[in-house]
Amino acid sequence: MVYIATFYSHFGAIRFKKEYAGKIEKAKLMPVPRDLSSSCGTCVGFEADESFTFTSDPRGEIEQVVRSTDNGYVVLFKAKED
Amino acid sequence: MDLKKEKTMIIIAGLIIGAIGSLLVLAGNPANMGFCIACFLRDISGGLGLHRAAAVQYIRPEIIGLVLGAFIIAVAKKEFLPRGGSSPMTRFILGFFVMIGCLMFLGCPFRMVLRLAGGDWNAILGLVGFVIGILIGIYFLNRGYSLKRTYTLPKLEGAMLPIVMVVLLVLLVAAPAFIFFSEAGAGPGALHAAIAVSLAAGIIVGILAQRTRLCMVGGVRDAVLFKEFKLLAGFVAIIVAALVVNVAIGKFTGGFAGQPVAHTDGLWNCLGMVLVGFGCVLLGGCPLRQLILAGEGNADSAITILGLIVGAAFCHNFGLASSGAGPTANGQIAVIIGLIVVLVIALMNSRKQNA
Repeated sequence: MVYIATFYSHFGAIRFKKEYAGKIEKAKLMPVPRDLSSSCGTCVGFEADESFTFTSDPRGEIEQVVRSTDNGYVVLFKAKED
Repeated sequence: MDLKKEKTMIIIAGLIIGAIGSLLVLAGNPANMGFCIACFLRDISGGLGLHRAAAVQYIRPEIIGLVLGAFIIAVAKKEFLPRGGSSPMTRFILGFFVMIGCLMFLGCPFRMVLRLAGGDWNAILGLVGFVIGILIGIYFLNRGYSLKRTYTLPKLEGAMLPIVMVVLLVLLVAAPAFIFFSEAGAGPGALHAAIAVSLAAGIIVGILAQRTRLCMVGGVRDAVLFKEFKLLAGFVAIIVAALVVNVAIGKFTGGFAGQPVAHTDGLWNCLGMVLVGFGCVLLGGCPLRQLILAGEGNADSAITILGLIVGAAFCHNFGLASSGAGPTANGQIAVIIGLIVVLVIALMNSRKQNA
């Protein structure tokens, strides 16, 4: 399955890619796809199996994590507003 | 939308925007200045009396149109997301100094492209400086530079700049005595297309830029960071379309000397745009992109626009802006100070301090 994580900063994306190197595959830094967001930051596109979950982000760098499907994106994680 | 489709959209948008940029000159805007975000914000600053440079005072409808076009399409596509709180004061200061860089060069990155398409080779030095500035900014992005996250804000907060733009449009049309207009023959501020034409052009470009995320800084940044060239393709499309239209309407004059609203001091053309490129990477987009983001409800970008407007007022109140005769000593000092301030902001907001 293909996943995309978006971040509040470019460096957040670099750090995510490094820290999750063992848990995800084919991780790639890239611009956020236009159909996912109108913002123009950096995201990490990666592959993982269907059981991949993402529930917390202690550093507060991740905006959201989505799974790409034929019908669009399924949100797995979204940063809290507080 | 797949990447190929996205790239095609950006190229088409770039071609339309470039053509509009040149046609606005035919409609009455200053030569090589169909669009210039910095110059037009400077003119608005003068129109509101924030500076008294009689040559550059006019509430430019193109700016109003850009913000309202982005706002309308963002609302229609459910992408109007009021957000803010990401180091607003720092963004104000960055906007302030980006304007000082722009008015050293005499144009924003958008006008730099239009100047190139009009045959103004001084803009080549500007482009070199712009790319150098972006590369410096990218160095700090990779070192952990961040102005911290944004937060959701009330809808009214996100709508504030579009509302201000409507008020500016009313002031432009009503023309009360306290609003300044450059008199005929006074300078670039007196040269403009009809209000409806300028407004329509702004709205069209605002919609296209919102849909495609077109950004002069983003093009170079994405090419360097990701080897992703679609935004850069939009940048090139603007030059190609503007060049073709300029040649067709007889507005292409190649050379360095005697170019409209430009000077030939290569070093300061370059350094001015180093400051612009560097500052814009730290802001996350060029002045055009800031207007579009503000239209989408981004209050941080709206603050940046205020920084640009105040920067323009300072440039003309304190003799920092260049003219056709060249840069001023005050302007040169201001650019050096700007480079130092932007460097300090980059260092202070990079990883070690963020850890």
